[in-house]
Amino acid sequence: MRIAVLLSAGRHAVSGRPAPVPVELQAVGLAADFVERHGADLTGLHAGPDVGPLRDALGHGLPNLVHLVTGADDDPLPSLAAALREGAFDLILAGRVAQGGEDSGLLPYALARALGLPIVSDAAALAPGETPGTLNVEQALPRGARRRLLVRLPVLVTVHPAAPAARPFAFAGARRGILETRPGLAAPRASTGLEERPYRPRPKLIAKAAAGASAAERLKAATEAASGGGRLLVDPPPEEAAREILAYLAGIGVVAKR
Amino acid sequence: MSRPRKDPRAERAAQRVAGATRPRFDLARTPETATSGRPRRDPRAEERLALVPGTLRRRLDRTRRAGEAAIPAPQPLATPAPDAPALRRIPEPAFLVALVPDAPGGRLTPHDRQLFGAARLLADAGGGAVVALVDPAADDLAAAGADRVLTLPVSGYDPEGKALALDAALAALGLRHLLFPESAEGGDLARRVAALSGEALFAGAESLTAKAVTRAAHGRRTEQRGAPPTLISLAPDAVAPHAGTLHEALPVAFAFPATTGGAILAAEFVAADPARVSLAEADFVTSAGNGVSDFETFRALIAALGATPGASRMVCDAGLMPRAAQVGASGTVLDARCYFALGIAGAPQHLQGVAKCEHVVAVNTDLHAAMIERAGLAIVADAQEVMPALLRLIAEEASA
Amino acid sequence: MTDTALALALLVLAMAVVAGALAARRARLWRAGRAARVDWLDGLAALPKRYLVDVHHVVGRDPYAARMHALAAGGLLAGSALALAGLVPLLGNARLYWWIVALAFAAALAGGFMVGRRRLPVKPARLSGGRFQRLPLLLAAYAAGGFLVALDASLGGALRPFAFVGLALAAVGGIGLARQLDRGPMRHAFAGAAHLVAHPRPDRFEGKPATALAPLDLDAPRLGVATPADFTFNRLIGFDACIQCGRCETACPAFAAGQPLNPKRLIQDLAAAIQPNATNAAYAGSPYPNARPVAGIGGPDKPLVGTGAMIHPDTLWSCTTCRACVEECPMMIEHVDAIVDLRRFQTLELGALPVKAAPPLMELRYADEPGGRPLGARTDFAAGLTLPLMAAKGEADVLLWLGEGAYELRYGRTLRALITLLQKAGVDFAVLGAEERDCGDLARRLGDEATFQRLARDNIATLARYRFSRILTADPHALHALRNEYRAFGGAYEVVHHSAFLDELVAAGRLPVGALGGARVTYHDPCYLGRYNGEVDAPRRLLDRLGLERLEMERSGRRSMCCGGGGGAPVSDIEGERRIPDIRMGQASATGAAIVAVACPQCSAMLEGVTGARPDVADIAELVLMAVEAAPAAARAETLA
Repeated sequence: MRIAVLLSAGRHAVSGRPAPVPVELQAVGLAADFVERHGADLTGLHAGPDVGPLRDALGHGLPNLVHLVTGADDDPLPSLAAALREGAFDLILAGRVAQGGEDSGLLPYALARALGLPIVSDAAALAPGETPGTLNVEQALPRGARRRLLVRLPVLVTVHPAAPAARPFAFAGARRGILETRPGLAAPRASTGLEERPYRPRPKLIAKAAAGASAAERLKAATEAASGGGRLLVDPPPEEAAREILAYLAGIGVVAKR
Repeated sequence: MSRPRKDPRAERAAQRVAGATRPRFDLARTPETATSGRPRRDPRAEERLALVPGTLRRRLDRTRRAGEAAIPAPQPLATPAPDAPALRRIPEPAFLVALVPDAPGGRLTPHDRQLFGAARLLADAGGGAVVALVDPAADDLAAAGADRVLTLPVSGYDPEGKALALDAALAALGLRHLLFPESAEGGDLARRVAALSGEALFAGAESLTAKAVTRAAHGRRTEQRGAPPTLISLAPDAVAPHAGTLHEALPVAFAFPATTGGAILAAEFVAADPARVSLAEADFVTSAGNGVSDFETFRALIAALGATPGASRMVCDAGLMPRAAQVGASGTVLDARCYFALGIAGAPQHLQGVAKCEHVVAVNTDLHAAMIERAGLAIVADAQEVMPALLRLIAEEASA
Repeated sequence: MTDTALALALLVLAMAVVAGALAARRARLWRAGRAARVDWLDGLAALPKRYLVDVHHVVGRDPYAARMHALAAGGLLAGSALALAGLVPLLGNARLYWWIVALAFAAALAGGFMVGRRRLPVKPARLSGGRFQRLPLLLAAYAAGGFLVALDASLGGALRPFAFVGLALAAVGGIGLARQLDRGPMRHAFAGAAHLVAHPRPDRFEGKPATALAPLDLDAPRLGVATPADFTFNRLIGFDACIQCGRCETACPAFAAGQPLNPKRLIQDLAAAIQPNATNAAYAGSPYPNARPVAGIGGPDKPLVGTGAMIHPDTLWSCTTCRACVEECPMMIEHVDAIVDLRRFQTLELGALPVKAAPPLMELRYADEPGGRPLGARTDFAAGLTLPLMAAKGEADVLLWLGEGAYELRYGRTLRALITLLQKAGVDFAVLGAEERDCGDLARRLGDEATFQRLARDNIATLARYRFSRILTADPHALHALRNEYRAFGGAYEVVHHSAFLDELVAAGRLPVGALGGARVTYHDPCYLGRYNGEVDAPRRLLDRLGLERLEMERSGRRSMCCGGGGGAPVSDIEGERRIPDIRMGQASATGAAIVAVACPQCSAMLEGVTGARPDVADIAELVLMAVEAAPAAARAETLA
């Protein structure tokens, strides 16, 4: 079995310095654990002008990394598709949303389309299926729920942040790992036609207050979130307290109404 | 400034009863004529004129751009009763705005409702209609703002099949916009459709008007802005949900092409096991603090409530609960819907850990504890006494 | 010379041969270690001073043990040497000479009794049993035997039957002692002497702090220590020098908190692992508290750390690098160096860090700050204060290094107090602001030498751009890194801690202070200031100037106890029974003080985290500011009176 992990040129969320994308390191961890348990070939792939700190992925359990050198304005898709087709990988792992480009998370899907592979999103765990040529994928759903999928290989899988934490960085591992540089394909990115300007965070709407609510209601909703401001019972008998709690919990739907 | 100035002397003179030897005043009498020549304003009448009819909330249009003639004469009967929003029909839509809500289990999430709000925004700007593309059996789509409803021919977990169906609908129905929630499922679907159709996806729109949408790109350092494209996925809490009018939610028929089975051979939903799920992912956390001494009862309560166990730092330090259960800045920061704190006063570090929780229930003996202040339901009582009472009540209800 | 005396001399000779052979066998094992630069001649020349001054300075902290050791070791060595010298006919025939020999053996016998009295009937927990428990018997037998033989010789053979009994006793005891030389307590004698000669930190004996960790060559084929053979040979000698007195375990904060670390056991595990097919079975001291199970096997080329080896990783990560064990060790063993060397292999080669320790190192790599916070936010605590920036001034008399504490709400208050004081005293100072990176202390203690070296080089490059005469910092960890550890990378600075600097200002009259009304205060020494840098007087002097009633805790000064905040222990978070700061706060409460004065952001964070009724925690700078603000009022009161 051959596994590839796609790595993108991320940036640290605070410092803005080049850094690996955390969820892609988690993908490396998933792949490295799979290799240790079930045996497989593992390679990292990056298409971009510069490998930079992506070399550090070699210290997180990746044995080798192939860097496809493309221009800064090139679309990585053709280079990656060609390399993946040539490598005949059975399993391709990618992060949920790659960084460095538009950050739209579209690349794995476009890649799957280009390679004619099925794609499964948000994996939190991987295991080989019972019949050869299949893979068990545990898909992370919101609020801790999971979906167990059995998929036919080859497949492209994106990894969810709920996957096990990335392996800690080992400096000597990064030193030992093999970095191979290959020329990528020139493919100038089509213009998005979108206006770009420095990002400015926008205030989030308060979900509780619908468009029809009055200003006073919206203000109430906004302050309620911060200060609770709910009901207060002082020294009720335990039975009454229990009734109140259970009714409240049932009201918000965390325990079943009976 | 249109209000006349009061002239108290003149008013007094007007109230004087004529003919008496002593000056007598009839204070109840109002002067017949205004003392100044300027006309008096009647603010109530003006408001009545500015009132926009047909909205749930009182809306005033002071610009009078709509033209006074267009507005029917003000009459109280025209405003609909708040419990019965007006039904709005769009029989001949200029174009179609489609959306694909997650609707897990047929229930719209708040994010889905915001998606409807966005779709209405785009549709109402030019007389378009909103088409909801849903799995079978989604509730109250009419109130949410759907003019048309198209049921997708998908069973089980088959995102690729769903995407193929959507792609076919996108091309055949000539949808102007197709909107997705930027959630786990909706985001996945949006990208699948984008890859299938070759359309660009405007992923994670953070603001949306009929003229422009914006999103963050390049590691949240730049903002992209443009006219709304065909495929948009909407970030949560970016647009307010639709409210006010009721829509038809007319079922529409469409001949979807037949799809073949995808690569997914089997799918099995595993509900989150509250006892095993990690605190960071848990939905409902019940936590013990210093006010809890009987941990057997606490564990029984956790099992009975189906909650994920948490604990304060003090309890973890004392070794009564594992370190992994610690809630707070130095433990785990929760993303739970509900936090139930038993005997926790609420140190600042602990409150940081529950800052994102929507509902907090607190039981504590101290009325002035920070946790009591934070809670949506606060009970000043001994947690040790409330726990067995809760267990008894749950057992009673189960047997009843 | 009696025949028994002759036999005794021959016995001593035999013992010497046996001991020599065993010692040579043990010393051969040391050759498995890596080469190290050792100045043998200097070491040998300095041996008497190192032994008589430095070792006895430590041993002398326990007067009973000091007397015991002087009598037992002195008597044993003197008696044996003199008895051997009795082979020289001129001496052997002098009866007076044998009197002296008898006297020496009598001293050894007294020492042997003292050893026994300490261990019997109940052995204190810190002392090891096993071979160590037999030591007083062997010692007493040999000394008593030697005494009887020598006494008989001094009396010209008048006590001949006793002499025979004595000879038998001496033979049993003597050979027993000699056989203990490679595995038993007597090993400390020759390994200890060799350790003093070839000590890896010779500067320790010159009165210098010598506490900086040695830089690691990042191009070396193997980073850190995986097997005993990866240690330099003089470190291996050091492990063998351990006499298992257990002083380290009573000083160790992790041991007290019930975390799985016992410095004595750790050194014994390291010493045991030198031999091929080693096991840890012979150890008879107190175990690691809440020990995690390990296989307990090793060898010179077998891994030391892991569940299948000698030492569990949790043991390694429990250490707060407070150096209390090093401070207490009479054999001058460097425990912390060994722990950091082992950690370096775990971190750099294996990436086997505790789960919660990995994220801070990751943030340090890409954001230069363990919390991943923006560097520009470091000065946020000073909102409302004018904080001169180095980038704007270019030069200043004093460069204020803010450190990691600046991000914390609690320590921000301390820094505000310090900055207010500097402004009141008219000090020309500036901060680096967003140019200040983490000093790398956390990375280095967690074994991530690569990140430390990068941060050190980057910080040195930043500092090189500005002109200043001194660096002032309130963080002893940053102080230690900047003052002692950056030197190896070409950054030599005069670094002063805020306690010393404020003391200077107050002494020079630049900060008029009033009395704080005799509040009772106790000072908690930060490890990285007191033990690592020997600064224990300035903070106390300063507190005394404030008119405070200063009380001392059970452990203070260089022998102070750690707060539990160093060495990355808070991020490693190894489970124990208690928390170290709770123990330390208990000691502070016991003095009856109302305030615990601290001088370190870690200490303040750890001690503030203690819940329940306890003394207040206040940084020295906050106390000085209170005194300065009280000053005008006090002065006015004086003039009125």
